[in-house]
Amino acid sequence: MSADLNFARLRSAGTATLRSRAGISPTVLVSFLVILLVVLWSLFPSLFTGYSPVNGDTGSKLDAPSLQHWFGTDYLGRDQYARVVYGTASSVTSALVAVAIGLVVGSTIGLASGFRGGWLDATLGRFVDVLLAIPGFLLAVVIVSSLGFQTINAAIATGVSAVAVFARLMRAEVIRVRRSAFVEASYLEGGNRLQALLTHVLPNAYRSVLVLAVLQFGTSIMVIASLAFLGYGDPPPSSDWGLLVASGKTYVTAPWLVYAPALVIVATVLSINRISRWLRNSK
Amino acid sequence: MTSGYGRFALARAGQAAVVVLLAYVLTFLVISVLPGDAITNSLRDPQSGLSEADIQRIVQYYGLDQPVLVQLALSLGRFLTGELGFSLQSNLPVAQIVGDALPSTLTLASTALAIAVVFAIGIAYGAHYAPPRWAGLLRSIPSFFLSVPNFVIGLVLIELFAFRLHAFTTTDPNSATATLFAAVTLAIPVSAPLAEVLIASLDHESRQEYALVARSRGLDGAQLFARHLVKPSALPSVAMVALIVGELLGGSVITETIFGRDGIGTVVQKAVTGEDQPVLQAVVSLSAVVFVAVNLAADLLTPLLDPRVNVREAANA
Repeated sequence: MSADLNFARLRSAGTATLRSRAGISPTVLVSFLVILLVVLWSLFPSLFTGYSPVNGDTGSKLDAPSLQHWFGTDYLGRDQYARVVYGTASSVTSALVAVAIGLVVGSTIGLASGFRGGWLDATLGRFVDVLLAIPGFLLAVVIVSSLGFQTINAAIATGVSAVAVFARLMRAEVIRVRRSAFVEASYLEGGNRLQALLTHVLPNAYRSVLVLAVLQFGTSIMVIASLAFLGYGDPPPSSDWGLLVASGKTYVTAPWLVYAPALVIVATVLSINRISRWLRNSK
Repeated sequence: MTSGYGRFALARAGQAAVVVLLAYVLTFLVISVLPGDAITNSLRDPQSGLSEADIQRIVQYYGLDQPVLVQLALSLGRFLTGELGFSLQSNLPVAQIVGDALPSTLTLASTALAIAVVFAIGIAYGAHYAPPRWAGLLRSIPSFFLSVPNFVIGLVLIELFAFRLHAFTTTDPNSATATLFAAVTLAIPVSAPLAEVLIASLDHESRQEYALVARSRGLDGAQLFARHLVKPSALPSVAMVALIVGELLGGSVITETIFGRDGIGTVVQKAVTGEDQPVLQAVVSLSAVVFVAVNLAADLLTPLLDPRVNVREAANA
């Protein structure tokens, strides 16, 4: 029996390595293409649409999607596709800001508490517990309400509510690496703590934190869109994706005003999540 | 063992109390970052309909003319004795506002939780036992669920079922059908992490030798699932209960706004737009209390459910 089992195991192990070497799966490729398009939209919006996102043609209000207006037009006759494309920069950069805050602050906390241990770990650990105790979205809402209703503040709020997740993961990774033989060896060779931290612990711990950062980028896009949806971001005529959905929902007869930006959000987040899973599995 | 568990329980409860207190302080500090006179601005807004005497009384009550730390001490002291203060908008006691809104949110959240558990078990079971082609599809559902914002799900459900199929009307948000759809909206993002954990632990458990033994005794997939795999696979999800409570509380803000329900989420939204600090402070700290309490219960239950968990190790973790 054991021979059979071993043979089966060997065979399945072989196919597993083959599959991972076969390269990028089509869904990952599509995901990268979607993200590329989103990045291009946010960098060069005027290359993708000839319409203005602010000035509309009052002759064509609430038109259904057509060849002229891919996503239809809104109540002022503005091209909804142009509004989505021009809203990309703000929606995407604010999510980047949020991830940067969560990554830098959270990793620093996690690194410090995992590497030093002792009272520092206990103190920082309680702080992280407190951040985790307040439901993430509520925390973001409270922070943005006290900073003021702007997209950049929504980004800061989203970033702060992500600090705890990064801190916890970084701490766990650092503790895992810190006890390994090669770190011990670097001390034996006369290296000091800072050297060990920079040359051994960080390079070995950052990988899974990076995967989390990509995942968190998708989450941040959704959280910021939700805040914009509630009206806590920049006011119109700016066209953050969440705001577009919120202003579109008033027009029951023109459901494309909701569906088009909603679809863009879902496609973007789905692609980011797929890429994050691919990164996690390919390490 | 019992004294070990007692000490473990006591330490955990102590930690939980500290976290609740600190969460209150943190919330207070965040809310006080508001420009100092915003609170008096909203008080002096002619629309609030407060007389000069009312305003003086409120300023006195919250110590608004004193330093932030004094206000904090005042507010924290009242919170510890169970006093939540008064709304700046309506002048009603915060406890009454929260109490009025609570039943609606509890109904929504508990229905959503039940739906999420059903979804998660369904997805996990299918991912494990369906033919490979379908199983692969089912395995990708959780990550799809996690990629769709709450408000999109809600709006799509309303558009399809209220406006097109007339299954419910948005003018009567508390009807059974409307509640059901609101609960589905809230349940979908909650079911995703639950399904992921269930799938992972099902994969793990079914590779264990006892599963092989049970299979060799002639149990088929469904029997094996129901008799042997569900119990150990459910354990990791107990630890997720706190996370789920947080998701339900946060998600209710959006869901209640979209479906027009009068619950805690709507209270939060009104408090934010009206700069109603006492209400915001109370709701956020109360949800921290709920979160910490649920987390504590899960922590205390795990060693009782699973004898493999070492209490002494868990206490030091």
